[in-house]
Amino acid sequence: MTNHAERSSIGSQPAGEGRGRKSLRKAAAKIGLYAAVLAICVYSFFPIYWMMISSVRPMERLFLDSSLVFWPPDFASYTSLFQQTNYLVNFMNSVLMAVGTIAVSLVLSAFIAYGATRLRFRGKTTLVASMLFAYMFPPLMLAIPMAAAFRWAGLTDSLWGLLVAHLAISLPLAVWLLWGFFKAMPFDLEEAAMVDGCSQFEAFVKVVLPLSAPGLITVGIFSFLLSWADYVFALILIMSDQQKTLPVALASLLGAHDLRWGEVLAGASLIALPLFVIFIFCYRYFVAGLSAGALKG
Amino acid sequence: MVQDWRIVTLFIGSILVLGAIIGGPLVYAIMLSFYSAKSFVGELQWVGLANYAKAIQDPLFWHSFANGLMIALSAIFLQVVLGVGIALVLNRKFFGQSVVRAVSILPYFLPTVVACLIAQWILDPNYGLLKSLLSSLGIGIADWSSHAFTARGTIVLVSVWLWTPFVVTCVLAGLQTIPTQLYEAARVDGAGPWRQFWHITLPGLRSVLVVVILLRGIWMFNKFDLIWLLTKGGPLNQTETLPTLAYRKSFLEFNLGGGAAVATISFLILAGVMLIYLRLFPIDDTKQER
Repeated sequence: MTNHAERSSIGSQPAGEGRGRKSLRKAAAKIGLYAAVLAICVYSFFPIYWMMISSVRPMERLFLDSSLVFWPPDFASYTSLFQQTNYLVNFMNSVLMAVGTIAVSLVLSAFIAYGATRLRFRGKTTLVASMLFAYMFPPLMLAIPMAAAFRWAGLTDSLWGLLVAHLAISLPLAVWLLWGFFKAMPFDLEEAAMVDGCSQFEAFVKVVLPLSAPGLITVGIFSFLLSWADYVFALILIMSDQQKTLPVALASLLGAHDLRWGEVLAGASLIALPLFVIFIFCYRYFVAGLSAGALKG
Repeated sequence: MVQDWRIVTLFIGSILVLGAIIGGPLVYAIMLSFYSAKSFVGELQWVGLANYAKAIQDPLFWHSFANGLMIALSAIFLQVVLGVGIALVLNRKFFGQSVVRAVSILPYFLPTVVACLIAQWILDPNYGLLKSLLSSLGIGIADWSSHAFTARGTIVLVSVWLWTPFVVTCVLAGLQTIPTQLYEAARVDGAGPWRQFWHITLPGLRSVLVVVILLRGIWMFNKFDLIWLLTKGGPLNQTETLPTLAYRKSFLEFNLGGGAAVATISFLILAGVMLIYLRLFPIDDTKQER
């Protein structure tokens, strides 16, 4: 300790020279900081950039040319993707799944989370803790029995079956996030509405839900992400090309025809595109959700 | 207070739906693990613990377990080290901070399949960017997917790229909770940046890191899609893990009971490790409960 104190006091004493060295060190620290920041940006963004730039490279140069910038962009890979594969059908399947997952998990999780914060019953903590537990299940422990049960129920290769699976992965997270949200909301607001003659149900719909819009948006985003990105359940529950969602369709594209890299990268860029749009508009909800889910665990 | 029957009914109804779509499969999975089913349409036959006995006598099971553990541990270690490092940089003040923070989270947003395709494209032994970069330096590369070490390394690399942003976000939030007075006091006492990190930052991040490591550990151990997309467990089972083994048994060998048994055992192992972990590092929840 004393050593350090001494060294720092010696370093700061000689007036002119010391100040010069100090500002030099400050400049070096600043350069170091910006170098680190640049490295982080390149590390995080370059692979995504490389995917997008490769998808608009003329197909005959895709395997020869690795220039970082070029002009003009060429959309042959995209037209080929649309003409030669079921991409649009698969895209619509993915959209359907995402919309269904968002809608159902929002409704169900709102009722469950509200009940869990406002109703009086035993085993509340167990209920909420089991949500956290459920979203850590091995996916295959849900997928194997689902595949067997859906075969029995005639839901093989059906998007309805896949919707059930997507709900099973998104609901626990949705309940968990909304529970934290409703718990933090003071009961006085509903009470005031109920004193004014609202029933509890009306107070929930007219007062609580509008006030929890940020929480609902966060839940919607995470439900969308889980459904949109799901590969495991779609791989196991869907067989025919017509019913496939994007992740599985895209992965099978690479397996089926070798060297279709142009189309594959175009397809991958198109999966990522809606995510980037959401990301730009909903960044703060995303970060809020991440920290709410993680810090409370 | 009288409780609104509509709220109660909707609550109970939703709980029942939730129970059916999560509890149902879970119970059915455990049930299936006691039966032998040669195909999806065939009759189920009660075999007791035979599936479990067969699973744990299979050397491939333990090989997969060790593989999964190795991949998960190295990925978590790198994610945490890199995540804390990046968070410390992003916590400083610099021009364009909020944009850079957003960019650094981007990979986390990508579906696993996209990240895997990008990795395969860049690492492609014939046409990839890495190949052309290295060949301009006069170095040749082999196919990463044909060697155990490079195949595992690629899995770890892609996991780190995809999920480090989760650690970064949590650590950044955790850094805000450390009082700045502590750093001022340390500076007055003459502690350098390194000492400040060890004695203030790390202890301050303890509760965040305990949770982050737990969550990432669970998710890495259960990871199926990333490994299946990159290597399908190959070359020669060198990247096989318990989830890919369970998939292989159920859907490629049509041994539903065997796959269910592997999934159940891996779940039990995970639950056991989780309990021990939480005993060793209890999550301090008192601050949040109020």
